[in-house]
Amino acid sequence: MTILEVNTQTWTITLVGWSVVFFALVVLIFVFNNVPKLLKMNFKKDKSKTEQELQTIITDNKYISGDETAAIAMAIHMFFEEQHDEESNVITIKRIQKRYSPWSSKIYGMRNFPN
Amino acid sequence: MEHKYRKSIVALVAVILLLTFQAVFGWVDAWAADASGAVASTGAEGGALNGLKSFWSFTGFANFDISNLVMIIVGLFFIFLAIKYDYEPLLLVPIGTGILLGNIPFVEGYNIGIYEEGSVMSYLYFGVKQGIYPPLIFLGIGAMTDFSSLISNPKLMLLGAAAQLGIFATFLGASAMGFTPQEAGAIGIIGGADGPTAIFLSAMLAPHLMGAIAIAAYSYMALVPVIQPPIIRLLIPKKERAIKMKPPRAVSKVEKILFPIIGLLLTLFIAPSALPLLGMLFFGNILKESGVTERLADTSRNALINIITILLGVTVGASTQANVFLTVDSLKIFGLGALSFMVATAGGLIFARVMNLFLKGNNKINPMIGASGVSAVPDSARVVQQEGLKYDTSNHLLMHAMAPNVSGVIGSAVGAGILLSFLM
Repeated sequence: MTILEVNTQTWTITLVGWSVVFFALVVLIFVFNNVPKLLKMNFKKDKSKTEQELQTIITDNKYISGDETAAIAMAIHMFFEEQHDEESNVITIKRIQKRYSPWSSKIYGMRNFPN
Repeated sequence: MEHKYRKSIVALVAVILLLTFQAVFGWVDAWAADASGAVASTGAEGGALNGLKSFWSFTGFANFDISNLVMIIVGLFFIFLAIKYDYEPLLLVPIGTGILLGNIPFVEGYNIGIYEEGSVMSYLYFGVKQGIYPPLIFLGIGAMTDFSSLISNPKLMLLGAAAQLGIFATFLGASAMGFTPQEAGAIGIIGGADGPTAIFLSAMLAPHLMGAIAIAAYSYMALVPVIQPPIIRLLIPKKERAIKMKPPRAVSKVEKILFPIIGLLLTLFIAPSALPLLGMLFFGNILKESGVTERLADTSRNALINIITILLGVTVGASTQANVFLTVDSLKIFGLGALSFMVATAGGLIFARVMNLFLKGNNKINPMIGASGVSAVPDSARVVQQEGLKYDTSNHLLMHAMAPNVSGVIGSAVGAGILLSFLM
């Protein structure tokens, strides 16, 4: 039997194939919706005080706004790409030690008036 | 004085070269006549003229065909797109150069071409033909992908599944156009928007169409920023494009480690034929997330994937030898490929709008992220981010879009596995 000039086997492969893709990902969704609950269950039994504190800190700071995320992402990107502001890349100050010479001495460059 | 010496040295070298030419061309004559019969005279007495004739018969100019020129222009266009517009340069530069290499005219029979047994290019092409390179690319992708956006909002995986409509719709379309089921399956996978998966599946199901399928898949992947925005604007009303999504929750390290392990076991039990692809993808992610194999993860996501990308790109490009590539079937494949990309994008977008009907309050999703259900990572997510910023400069959708994007990779690999098990 053919529908739209495609035989039934092709339709079967199409429908079963797409459904299986959905099924595989729905199973993953189901598992990962429940994994946090399972993990919480285990933690409840032997949660020490410090861990509890940590948990509260983490939940307190959980919210990061989109702007902040973008700023952090940009900073990391620029850091890894080394794209900071345009600089000459010379960031050290070279100290040049000159040996003493009377020619550069201030005292000889001034007129000495007799007292 | 020095000038005089220079002149006499040049004259001496010229005489020596002439004498050498005489001898060498005599030898080339013998070789050419022996192998191809291109030049009639044999032996050293053939002299410089016959030598030059023989040399000419071996040049690309003598064996030139207009189809080679067409393909060379295509190759140059790919390189131009990559350099000028920055469209997937890591893929288009190797593929474009590969197209140039594959379309240099030559005399067959001297182990030069990619389709000649024993040639260097054919050895490099072996990894494509046998489907070795795609799983290694997946290993690298796994080692560089952060699944946390997916773990924090698992329901977005549905968008990755919905966008696989492109694969199956194209499979139907290709069957209706008279391709065999195997060929149709290989063509359909272009809709998965995943180059390595397309190469893997076509190597298994329809090796003779692999060049066209790979080129179509990679060129449309590079053209994601051109193909997707008009479809997004067509299917999503302005008001919905500005929806702000709830920030994703923080994901613990244990969840990140569990994801690839559970994902590997579950998806491969459902579609074992996808083992080389999904197995390597999740293996790469285990290397990354375990935290104890940083060296291996680093090699997978940098050195290894770079080497494989070079080999894959240049050999896939070289496989487009004009006499094999320029056929009506290739044109049909390009048409179907474009259609499959559009259908896949539309599938994700429409499904996202349907999902919104069932979601309430701030759980609603921005339907534009449905477009990133096609697995062109991270290009389609980037397109969604840019589109989002056009309507609200503070609406950053990148992280949200990455969830359907990476689930699209999983979905297309599962789809490839299913087609493989039905059609092999």
